[in-house]
Amino acid sequence: MDSGEDAAQRPLTLDITVIGAEEPEAHIPSEAATISSQPNATDTLFQEESIDLDAEAFVSPQDDSGASVSVMDKLNDQMMESVMISDSPNSEEDDVPIDSLLEQAEDKQSLDSKELEDDKEKEAKQEEVETGTLEGAPEARGEPEGSSFAAALVDKGEAEVEVNENDSTKEMLTSSHVTAGTPTSDSPEGQEMMLEVGEAAAADAAAEAAKEEPIPVCTIFSQGMQPKTLVPDGFQPTLVKSPSFSCGANETPNKLAPLVCQPSPSLSKFFADNGTVNPASDFFDSFTTSSSIISISNPNAESPKATSAAPPERQLSSGSSTVPSTGHQDGGTPTAYFSTAPQDSAPKPVVGPAEPAATMTKLQAVFSGSDDPFASALSMSEVDRRYDAWVPSEETRRVLISVATQQVNPVYVERDRLSMPGLKFDNLQGDAVKDLMLRFLGDQAAMKRQVLTANSVEQNFLGLKQLISTKNWRAAVDLTGRLLTAHGQGYGKSGQPTSHTTDSLQLWFVRLALLVKLNLFQNAELEFEPFGNVDQPDLYYEYYPTVYPGRRGSMVPFSMRVLHAELPQYLNKPQESLDRLHSMRSVCQKILANLEEGLAEDGSMMTLTQENRQASIQLWRSRLCRVMYSMANCLLMMKDYILAVETYRSIIQYESEQSVQLLSGIGRIFLQIGDIKMAEKYFQDAEKVCQEKGRGQAQETAVLMNKAFVYLSQNNYAEAHTCFSGILKIDPKNPVANNNAAVCLLYLGRLKESLGQLESLVQQDPALYLHESVLFNLTTMYELESSRSTQKKQALLEAVASREGDSFNTQCLKLV
Amino acid sequence: MQGKRQSGLLSNKMDVNQAKQEHLLALKVMRLTKPTLFTNMPVTCEDRDLPGDLFSRLMREDPSTIKGAETLMLGEMLTLPQNFGNIFLGETFSSYISVHNDSNQVVKDILVKADLQTSSQRLNLSASNSAVSELKPECCIDDVIHHEVKEIGTHILVCAVSYTTQSGDKLYFRKFFKFQVLKPLDVKTKFYNAESDLSSVTDEVFLEAQIQNITTSPMFMEKVSLEPSMMYNVSELNTVTSGKESESTFGKMSYLQPMDTRQYLYCLKPKPEFAEKAGVIKGVTVIGKLDIVWKTNLGERGRLQTSQLQRMAPGYGDVRLSLEYIPDTVNLEEPFDITCKITNCSERTMDLLLEMCNTRSVHWCGVSGRQLGKLCPSASLSIPLKLLSSVQGLQSISGLRLTDTFLKRTYEYDDIAQLLHLLVLHDTGSLWRKKQHLR
Repeated sequence: MDSGEDAAQRPLTLDITVIGAEEPEAHIPSEAATISSQPNATDTLFQEESIDLDAEAFVSPQDDSGASVSVMDKLNDQMMESVMISDSPNSEEDDVPIDSLLEQAEDKQSLDSKELEDDKEKEAKQEEVETGTLEGAPEARGEPEGSSFAAALVDKGEAEVEVNENDSTKEMLTSSHVTAGTPTSDSPEGQEMMLEVGEAAAADAAAEAAKEEPIPVCTIFSQGMQPKTLVPDGFQPTLVKSPSFSCGANETPNKLAPLVCQPSPSLSKFFADNGTVNPASDFFDSFTTSSSIISISNPNAESPKATSAAPPERQLSSGSSTVPSTGHQDGGTPTAYFSTAPQDSAPKPVVGPAEPAATMTKLQAVFSGSDDPFASALSMSEVDRRYDAWVPSEETRRVLISVATQQVNPVYVERDRLSMPGLKFDNLQGDAVKDLMLRFLGDQAAMKRQVLTANSVEQNFLGLKQLISTKNWRAAVDLTGRLLTAHGQGYGKSGQPTSHTTDSLQLWFVRLALLVKLNLFQNAELEFEPFGNVDQPDLYYEYYPTVYPGRRGSMVPFSMRVLHAELPQYLNKPQESLDRLHSMRSVCQKILANLEEGLAEDGSMMTLTQENRQASIQLWRSRLCRVMYSMANCLLMMKDYILAVETYRSIIQYESEQSVQLLSGIGRIFLQIGDIKMAEKYFQDAEKVCQEKGRGQAQETAVLMNKAFVYLSQNNYAEAHTCFSGILKIDPKNPVANNNAAVCLLYLGRLKESLGQLESLVQQDPALYLHESVLFNLTTMYELESSRSTQKKQALLEAVASREGDSFNTQCLKLV
Repeated sequence: MQGKRQSGLLSNKMDVNQAKQEHLLALKVMRLTKPTLFTNMPVTCEDRDLPGDLFSRLMREDPSTIKGAETLMLGEMLTLPQNFGNIFLGETFSSYISVHNDSNQVVKDILVKADLQTSSQRLNLSASNSAVSELKPECCIDDVIHHEVKEIGTHILVCAVSYTTQSGDKLYFRKFFKFQVLKPLDVKTKFYNAESDLSSVTDEVFLEAQIQNITTSPMFMEKVSLEPSMMYNVSELNTVTSGKESESTFGKMSYLQPMDTRQYLYCLKPKPEFAEKAGVIKGVTVIGKLDIVWKTNLGERGRLQTSQLQRMAPGYGDVRLSLEYIPDTVNLEEPFDITCKITNCSERTMDLLLEMCNTRSVHWCGVSGRQLGKLCPSASLSIPLKLLSSVQGLQSISGLRLTDTFLKRTYEYDDIAQLLHLLVLHDTGSLWRKKQHLR
């Protein structure tokens, strides 16, 4: 209606009544208004009536006398208020019970020196946080290992500091973290600088130490390194260097980055092992030399070492004239640390000055074992090209071409066009399960909790995989931090030029993926930030013609791009996610179009065998689907149901084997909206597809599941329960049906049965049922059942502690 | 899902009696909103990436993912309500009431009573009002109550438990749970009076209803219909029919996002029996009421009706003059015929005299001041008139005067219709006119 008319009209107040409500008494007050406001309507041809539900119109309760009213008034404060539902994934931060955390922190401190290795490390972190606080982040208070969001809070606080500080203060800030260690430096000027700063830091640290705990010992090192007795005063200022910086500093063409490296707090502790000198290179070697394991554990990861160690391959796969001479590996040779000079060509093992030659021989020994380097090199390059293909932006492409044609030395590429990642925090580690145990079950029980930490595994990809598969994602994040530090992209290295390798980017991917899995979105965003749009020239193989001769395409794995695109949606920026996903989709489509036109993925003229082309098309179709899934998921989060449904539908044409799941999923979206008719329509479609596929167990389950949901939305919990039970007859172990049947029982008023069912499931098959959703339901029912829910929840905590890793989300236990 | 989980468990921090003594029974109340579907967060990698198949294996092993389509976010796992949520007028308040024997003795004659105190009344919601004879330790009395919320504002659920201990003491305690019922929709209505069709005497009324979702969740509008009062027939104008298919004007999906507004349009026609007495429909008339049914998450249903919508019928005065016939095209300076219909809307008989006054552009032909004779109440009379127009452009037909000779009262009729005289090239004599609705 246009507002002009609105203004002219006189609004009438009506009221909404509900069918069945005794109308006369319900709206006497407003009816009076209705009648009184009827004007001389002769010239008012249009009338607008705003129907207003006015709470004030009602009179206060008249029954129950004054007593009840006074009770009501008295209860006003204590009574439950309706809670606004917030969808914000970050809102929980408001809920952090800071008091309790601080309390916890105090408890913690009283536990002091008899603690285990882990605990010491944690305390070390606590100390770091406090240091941070002194440096000017008073809001960053909390206990790092307290809980997942306590950690997030702290990290955020630190991040704020970092953002606000300029470079010099940042240097100070980080240097104050250097608590102990020994100077190791090749560059005299750097050393001097560091010593100065380091001394200041040492003073700070000493002051800290005096009033607090013994200096934490670094325990990062290999398994063999057991913590030694603490020598609180045995530390000295040190320069801790990243190995990649060890090649000296002269020849730096533009003094952009200070050569002083700022080690991250925990790393500094690592290096400062009880006064013993542990040169960075030692640490580095601890996993570089085990490169044989790397290549076993990650057979597909095209190893850069292979490239550098097998010159024939290089010559085969490219016409590049630069054949690096691998002979003169010399730590003392001064080169710019970001130079792509041949001696740096083994990108991952940036070998420290200690024993370069030895490392080199080891590396060569590893790769000489390969059966047929030629054949594998050939097939590898096919696969490489297929997987790494990407279409860079025009600007990036120009830089890459000029690098490839040797017009521009990568050294001179503008700095702001490069990605310069570095860890933004490294105090993540913690185990919320153990903390809860300490709090509720006591030290004894907590001692029993054994989980893998970053220390207890091999410091390489194999160890990383072990941590991931045992669901110790926090420890895994820590390990990626160490490995990246060793690569020269550690704490505080953000904004400093660095060279990427396939492995370093894989590490970044794993780290960021785990952060997202742990719901630490802000942290992930911070560390993703230097990567910009993931399109800087130094993220492409072409940028490193000497290291990766002849290799083309993106070093950033496709999955990392997906992650990068998805991340903003978890931070309430779904629009940004959509933008990124759309541009990814267009690249995928471009590549598919290129392939169909007979070109190579990136549009270059290249003859591909039919077989290769088909494999490529298949890969890129599945990637396009992955992007579409992300888009649909993002739209669903945005509650843009129309587009979400459309997008899910469009996936069906690519992934026809998922059509039952997709159709059912769309049906469930409609149920969520409340449109049951449309939901039924999609469920029928899904059923049709099921019938075409034949009557398998999966199909019958899907059909019954959908039926159950329809009953559920008709408030028919009894029938829904029958359907879920029907699934269990076909597939007794179906966790979803089991859980959902139990939920139905509750709505039918059968709490005890429901509880019994869930409880026995968790006991019998903890692998399946120690899941966040099931435990949440179970603890909710405990709370409903009796006043003694806490004991029962603690029993669950014990079950969790014996099975789950440090990434377990303890919130579902509702103990705190 | 991320986010701190709470349950819909109603927390009552102060129990009036608890301070005085420990009770053997514990009362717990949880609002039963619909369960929600668990959403998982897919993080994937390719086999070639560092984690290899680890991520996909973890996702496959996760019971909450959709097997075969792990990247689909919306799962099938049901989770219980996470908090009390909001409750809106017209929705059903459901609650689980559990009385648990926390003690180690058998408790007798337990009576659980659940009342809902609103600002105007007190309702008993308990399923049964009979006492349970005994409750063993660790046993529960369960009750699920439902109530369709019919008032907005503060509601208090009062749960009272009385029981007898083994020693014969009669004990009693109450708990109060307060919640606010909010308004889910904002409804605005607007009437449009259509000028009568040339062939009929009576008027159609168009009703535009603006319905705004003022909740925080999307709302599926299952039904928005106008229940007309006895005088009217209604036709809904919210679908576009093309061939056999009729499509909603709101597109395929009939849901309203939070704060979205949607306009519904209805056409109301007076029923023939009332139409005959068209003149009688004047003043305030009751049009009908809107009946709105919506659904939200997993079929959570709500229903509201507006109160009777009322409309001020346009005043026609005592005598109403409408047009029955007017030609489609008229030539400039050429006489044309119109037919006027004169209806007596008053309660008395009139004796009418018709006068025609020329205006700047309209020239009436024929005798002015002719007697039309007596006209009974509600009766009408058709008179053919002739006139010509001398000016191009948009012109009004004005200048008719009716005088009731009994009361010596004169009614003036100007702007009866508007004519658009368009001069068409090559056909200078013909004028295109377009009648526009007046009023």
